[in-house]
Amino acid sequence: MKRRVPVALEEGLAVACMALLLAITILNVLTRYFTDQSFAWSEEISVFLMVLMTLAGASAATGRDRHIRIEYFYDRGTAQRQRRLKIFGTCLVALLFMVLALLFGRVVADEIRFEETSMGLGIPRWWFTIFSPLLCIGIALRSIGVAWSTARVLEDGR
Amino acid sequence: MIGLTLFMLFIVLMLAGVPIGAALGLGGIVAIGWANADTQWWGLLAAPQNMQAGIAKYPLLALPMFVLVGAIFDRSGVAQRLVDFAVACVGRSAGMLPMVAVLVAMVLGGISGSGPANAAAVGGVMIAAMARAGYPAPFSASVVGSAAATDILIPPSIAFVVYSVSVPGASVPALFAAGMLPGILAGLALIVPAVWLSRQRGYGAAEAELPRPPFWPSLRQAVWGLAAPVLILGGMRVGWFTPTEAAAVAAVYGLFVGMVIHRSIGFGDLYEIFRDATETSAVIMIVMALAGIFAYSVNTLGLADPLVQAVQASGVGSAGALLALMMVLLVVGMFLDGVSIFLIFLPLLYPLMLAFQWDPVWFGVLLTMVVAIGQFTPPMAVNLLVACRLAQVRIEATLPHVGWLVLSFMLATAAVALFPQIALWLPRSLGY
Repeated sequence: MKRRVPVALEEGLAVACMALLLAITILNVLTRYFTDQSFAWSEEISVFLMVLMTLAGASAATGRDRHIRIEYFYDRGTAQRQRRLKIFGTCLVALLFMVLALLFGRVVADEIRFEETSMGLGIPRWWFTIFSPLLCIGIALRSIGVAWSTARVLEDGR
Repeated sequence: MIGLTLFMLFIVLMLAGVPIGAALGLGGIVAIGWANADTQWWGLLAAPQNMQAGIAKYPLLALPMFVLVGAIFDRSGVAQRLVDFAVACVGRSAGMLPMVAVLVAMVLGGISGSGPANAAAVGGVMIAAMARAGYPAPFSASVVGSAAATDILIPPSIAFVVYSVSVPGASVPALFAAGMLPGILAGLALIVPAVWLSRQRGYGAAEAELPRPPFWPSLRQAVWGLAAPVLILGGMRVGWFTPTEAAAVAAVYGLFVGMVIHRSIGFGDLYEIFRDATETSAVIMIVMALAGIFAYSVNTLGLADPLVQAVQASGVGSAGALLALMMVLLVVGMFLDGVSIFLIFLPLLYPLMLAFQWDPVWFGVLLTMVVAIGQFTPPMAVNLLVACRLAQVRIEATLPHVGWLVLSFMLATAAVALFPQIALWLPRSLGY
């Protein structure tokens, strides 16, 4: 499949999050042993990185069509039927994440308006949450991309 | 009415091959919007909140960390050395290699937390070795696929982490301790039919002529792998680390062993290892996030109450309800992966568990055993699929063998259901 925007983009982001999560957790263990203290900020940052990794990784997995699904009926039938099911599924994923992007956008807008700050670090919450609507749009676009290239094969097959 | 629509929509979408997370999210959003048709934004702002809440939990960090540990140890070269050592211990005769496969899968189960990673690591070594010794490939795939299913019982386990963040009153350490003995029991339950089948059907006749590795040198080679479960489980037990930290330490240890000791991982492999772990974690956790929306709609619509009342009124009692439940989950487990089963069913099962006063830790172990069976029961069996891909056989070819292993694993599950102490004795005596 031809991809104009390389999946490595989100993938790299997700991998960086995973590496950072590992580093922070290890650092936490070490500092606790050497100084009897732990970073108060690490929990908040770790949770944020985990959410970021999930959404970015999910976007890359959408581009690669690697999500968990029941393949029992999906992988059966003619190639044409399989492609139609794939287009159906990817369009629904795109729809879902467009709606979610909109809803997350509203949440972020509220957080900016009410100047909400985070529990641990006291920084504006939207610094964290702004990534959610953006990556939801990313997942939706990836899904449309997969639907588009599948549809083109479908037309060529006729 | 709304509840019925929610489930129908969800089931139809799922059968049509829509990703499970998307089916959960769409079903949940439609149900929420329908139920709150007259409020601002149809009450849908609950969707992003619950999606966020589904994964923004610090204890859940143990999940990606243990997935990473699995991806690292998969390539660390530990499996090969554990196999050599196990062969040196049990000797060479027909039926010994299947036993070795199960034993090594159990030790690796004490390092990694996910079945497919275990099947890949054990299968990568055992399937070729078993082929050389004259075992048919479908049989080897069955043994490896089923042996890897003990992984989610033997601590650490990703299934227990997911269960723990979803069910109040079941801590990760308690679940980890509770899975130990049922995991060993399940391993024994697989060894018996595996050895019996090989003897009965004359598999592995060539095994007796193969050389037996010397004991001490192979122990010295295997000691790095054998030390890993001690580090992880011991470190948690003594209170050195939390489960998440234990996973992070194990990941670093695995990288050290793979890069410095066994030299099977180079710098160039690091990105690929992290990428695999990231993808595996993300596809699980996005389902968890979207299941948060689904669970919210199930809870706010009060869908579980009628179910619980119906079960209680039916007069089947606690034992009957548990039996029926496990039968249903066994069937569902043939088509759905374990974590998805937990996420879809726990909003319904949790009230049932409270109503019958089942111990949450014991119940978690039982559910995990049922899920483990589903991991190697065709047609949809994640572990078996990995093993079949490595053995280059079709999953249908495993049917004559895998049935016996499934049956035996079911008996082990029944034993834990009848004698809860098998699961609960260890966590209680450790004081969790």
